[in-house]
Amino acid sequence: MKPIILQGHERSLTQIVFNAEGDLLFSASKDNVVNVWFTSNGERLGTFGDHKGSVWTVACDSQTKYLVTGAADNTMRLWDVRSGKCLYVWEFLTAVKRVAWSEDDEMLLSITEQRSGQPSVIRIFKINREDPANQSSTPLREIILTGSKATVALWAPLSDHIITGHESGKVAKYDTKTGEEVMVVEESHRGEITDIQLSPDGTYFITSSKDKTARLFDSETLQEMKVYPTETPLNSACIAPLRPYVILGGGQDAMSVTTTSSRAGKFESRFWHKLFEEEVGRVRGHFGPINTLAVHPQGKAYASGAEDGFVRVHWFDDSYFRSRPYGDLEPEVEL
Amino acid sequence: MASTKPLKTDWTADDEGDELPPTTETTDADGITTIISWKFDEHDRKVKTTRRVRRKMQTQLVSHTVAERKHWPKFGLDKGKGSGPDRNTTIIGENIHFKVSATSRAEPEAEQSAAKAPAGKAFVCRLCKGGHFTAKCPYREQLAAIDSVGADGGEEEMDGPSNVGALAAKGAGGSTVGGRYVPPGQRAGGATGETMFRPRDEFPTLRVTSLSVDAEDEDLRDLFARFGRVVRANVVRDRDTRESKGFGFVSFESRKDAEAALSKMNGFGYDSLILSVSWSQPREPRQP
Repeated sequence: MKPIILQGHERSLTQIVFNAEGDLLFSASKDNVVNVWFTSNGERLGTFGDHKGSVWTVACDSQTKYLVTGAADNTMRLWDVRSGKCLYVWEFLTAVKRVAWSEDDEMLLSITEQRSGQPSVIRIFKINREDPANQSSTPLREIILTGSKATVALWAPLSDHIITGHESGKVAKYDTKTGEEVMVVEESHRGEITDIQLSPDGTYFITSSKDKTARLFDSETLQEMKVYPTETPLNSACIAPLRPYVILGGGQDAMSVTTTSSRAGKFESRFWHKLFEEEVGRVRGHFGPINTLAVHPQGKAYASGAEDGFVRVHWFDDSYFRSRPYGDLEPEVEL
Repeated sequence: MASTKPLKTDWTADDEGDELPPTTETTDADGITTIISWKFDEHDRKVKTTRRVRRKMQTQLVSHTVAERKHWPKFGLDKGKGSGPDRNTTIIGENIHFKVSATSRAEPEAEQSAAKAPAGKAFVCRLCKGGHFTAKCPYREQLAAIDSVGADGGEEEMDGPSNVGALAAKGAGGSTVGGRYVPPGQRAGGATGETMFRPRDEFPTLRVTSLSVDAEDEDLRDLFARFGRVVRANVVRDRDTRESKGFGFVSFESRKDAEAALSKMNGFGYDSLILSVSWSQPREPRQP
């Protein structure tokens, strides 16, 4: 497995996402720029560079037509993927920490940071796809959070609910139509939830947390299904399609990195068996903690972005697809 | 792509303002393309770059939208750049051996020798000179065995833990013998001291010849993995064409496994050829 190393950022990565076909990879970074890359050869297609602060989050719609980004300059921007032009800017009072497209690409959600007296707010916007430069600046729905602030969120299948992960370790579910909290699991993690990603079929999702564990939850009931305990705080987790693995990434906090060697830092992507909850492999390479992981939607590759400013795209070998670490307990997968 | 040569600076020809020769591409009989390109560096010197690559056409079926996106013009900082990865932003990393297995859990931190000297105590083992009581010496049986070999006049190979001197050094924490500091280079069993790069000959290595040209590193590893843990398995390839030269090397973690593999695999039929396995001869030290 030869990784493709993308060095288009001067500062650490915050979020990377594949598009629906997996041929493009978007990378957001603290250096205010979003890059888009061809995943097959690592060629950079272009840069989206109008933000005036760290870009915290990026999301691409299912048709790879529009891109949305949220940044520390208190704005959320809509971009045309093909030309790299900024189409619309929403302004808020605090930084935008997470954005996501609904399943039908008609709606957007954004989470703004809780700071200087402002509460953390989840806003849902209706997107005008015909005339993208003409958007409504007032949200369709506003969910003002009273308890712990939300750090991550995704749309539940069919987009009638939003699932959020909170700083306190809480996982909650909100109704899109009414904005009410319909379900909550207060103590699902013992630390801040750092990432949340949906399974390929949407029936379950994975969360990673600073409490050194990643957990799998049912999307419908928020019931905890699996736990993956590791020895470092986790920053990201994703579920690999095709094979029964989850990929976890983390490492100790950036502030304590210089005090330890990269070997002790455990800056590896860890592969865990989804069902048996056991570690089955590691991929080395980064020399800073992994901040974000993304997996190719068809399960052929995965990418990791780290504090060291590099993105590494790994295309899986044949041996990965043939691997059956637990022998006959696992079904073979036709490619 | 086979290999790329680093930049070659041409020191002689630096007529400033000179026209650059055009980029030339020649393809030889082996299918290797040599690309010679010229540019000026920051001191206006002419720099010749020679890259030798092997182009291989790979066909992939993709959806229409993906194929269409491949022809999009670049934008942002990459505006106007040609197709193909820019070597300033994209590099290919080193090969990573990634194997999914149920037992690949992180290996526990190497346990320190059980005979670690208790701090601040001044007793020395009579047998191995380590900092522990003679009765508790962990090397007692090994030392007895070595002594008996020595009495028979047999010559034991002097490497690793079978060396009495090494044992003594180990028992005392590795840096002192009888309270005196011994530099790593003079310690028994460690003539070279520590280096960042472990030498190739550190592991028992077998040379496998009459190997099928279709065999990959992975095949070689799988073939020999049944005898024990394989540290390294590689097929020797032509530097330019990447074609197998029909032999390879396999390194084991333990000598016993290597010996077993040598006896079993020498003469083994593999892919309609009969393998010939022998010990690998250590390479002559490189001339500087």
